[in-house]
Amino acid sequence: MRHIVIQAAAVSKMFTIPSSRRETVREHALDLFRRRRLERLRVLESVSFELRQGESVGLMGRNGSGKSTLLKIIAGIYPADSGRVDVHAAVTPILELGVGWNPDLDAIDNIELLGTVMGMTLKELRGATSEILAFAELEKFAHLELRHYSSGMAARLAYAVAFRAVREILILDEVFAVGDAGFKERCQQRYRDLHHAGHSMLLVSHEPRTIAAFCDRALLLEGGRIVFAGPAETVANRYLELLTEDSSAAQPQIR
Amino acid sequence: MVSVAITRIRQGHAPFAGLVWTLIRTDFKTRYHGTIGGFVWALLKPLTMFLVLLAVFSYVFASDPQYKLDLIIGLFVYEFFQESTKAGLLSIRAKGYLLTKARFPSWIVVVTSASNAVITFGLFSVVLVMFLALTHRAPSVTAVALYTIYQVLFFAIVAGFSLAASVLFMRYRDLNQVWEVVTHAGFFVAPIIYPIGIVPERMHPYLYVWPPTPVILFSRSVLVDGHVPSVFAHLLLLAEAAIVLGAGAMIYRARAPRVADEL
Repeated sequence: MRHIVIQAAAVSKMFTIPSSRRETVREHALDLFRRRRLERLRVLESVSFELRQGESVGLMGRNGSGKSTLLKIIAGIYPADSGRVDVHAAVTPILELGVGWNPDLDAIDNIELLGTVMGMTLKELRGATSEILAFAELEKFAHLELRHYSSGMAARLAYAVAFRAVREILILDEVFAVGDAGFKERCQQRYRDLHHAGHSMLLVSHEPRTIAAFCDRALLLEGGRIVFAGPAETVANRYLELLTEDSSAAQPQIR
Repeated sequence: MVSVAITRIRQGHAPFAGLVWTLIRTDFKTRYHGTIGGFVWALLKPLTMFLVLLAVFSYVFASDPQYKLDLIIGLFVYEFFQESTKAGLLSIRAKGYLLTKARFPSWIVVVTSASNAVITFGLFSVVLVMFLALTHRAPSVTAVALYTIYQVLFFAIVAGFSLAASVLFMRYRDLNQVWEVVTHAGFFVAPIIYPIGIVPERMHPYLYVWPPTPVILFSRSVLVDGHVPSVFAHLLLLAEAAIVLGAGAMIYRARAPRVADEL
């Protein structure tokens, strides 16, 4: 059996709602003797799963079900409140990539920033810059500052860097929702190539067809818990049922 | 029983050297963005500032040629302190867009945030030593070496402060305003525009607690006066740097893991 590359055991996470938190020195000084009740939101509750070498696992769930938080915990960006995550290989996360560039720098400098953050060396990056720009179809805009990019162009550039930076495990959040048909096809092909090359993948998507087509198995998150796990297609169907149950419950009954 | 969650990642040597260089390079580029010959301007800024201050102070304080140099050293040291601590305090917030993308040690963005201030101050130091040499007051090699050591220790103090302040700023969102007031007040605590001699001697230890004070006094002492401070004074500066860096690193270590939550 292939070895485990990610093991999450009973992972839980809560966030404090910012409006209920003292956020300034002034507020702390004024409220020194007053206790304030913090409002907390439980985002993940005792989530356990494992990812094996070479596997592609899908993660489905409605907005706010905890998918992105789980990915960030696995990527080591957020700490969990309790539980344990063991990651036995280098992770390349592709998360929130449409936003957050340095707008004053051109594409090439931003590629170097994001690429080095993702663990590439400058030598690797310099050798890969034209390939990254070609993947994003942005060769003509290589020296254009990011402030002039559309959100779609910026997202394409980010995915192109991240797909090139993949080391062992790839974690993707809604990756096939960006760009035109040609770009989507290139992303999908790159995903298949990486999967065939033996990389392990964790893929979040709202799109049942994507999960069914690209994943070996999947997990369904609801209210921060894994409510269903199984073959990708079965989970995709279960997710659709969940959405249908919701919409029929919301509809007024006709008498 | 629940074990505390730690995302354990086993991976090879991360190429942080590339990241450090890219952060310094892009910060520099961003700062001089849009200026004609950005690098030339970066070079010219400390030189022109030095010459302007020298010209003005030579006129205003014509009777005391030593005072103008003391004043210029004090102003540049303090400007470095103000600029680098401000950049350090804001660094994690400013680079938050990178910290939510991938896992890498955020202290790198904190420490490299001072790079622009270091470049300006480094160039000023070169201009100052050249000026002293041209006016037949060339400092000895020992004096330049000691001056460099003071600035390295000063950088350690700035790094210690920045490590703590950058993570605390995520929690206390008006910390930058508080720090601005402190540094403005601190300008008059440090003996920049007045000689420390006018302050009663019993107050001196308190003034030395404010990091720019010993750095300014020691720098003037070795470069302008040609006088090396006592070993004890050096040990105090070393201790101050170690304490600030150590305390800053401890606060950073305690809070940094949760920084992404607050971005």
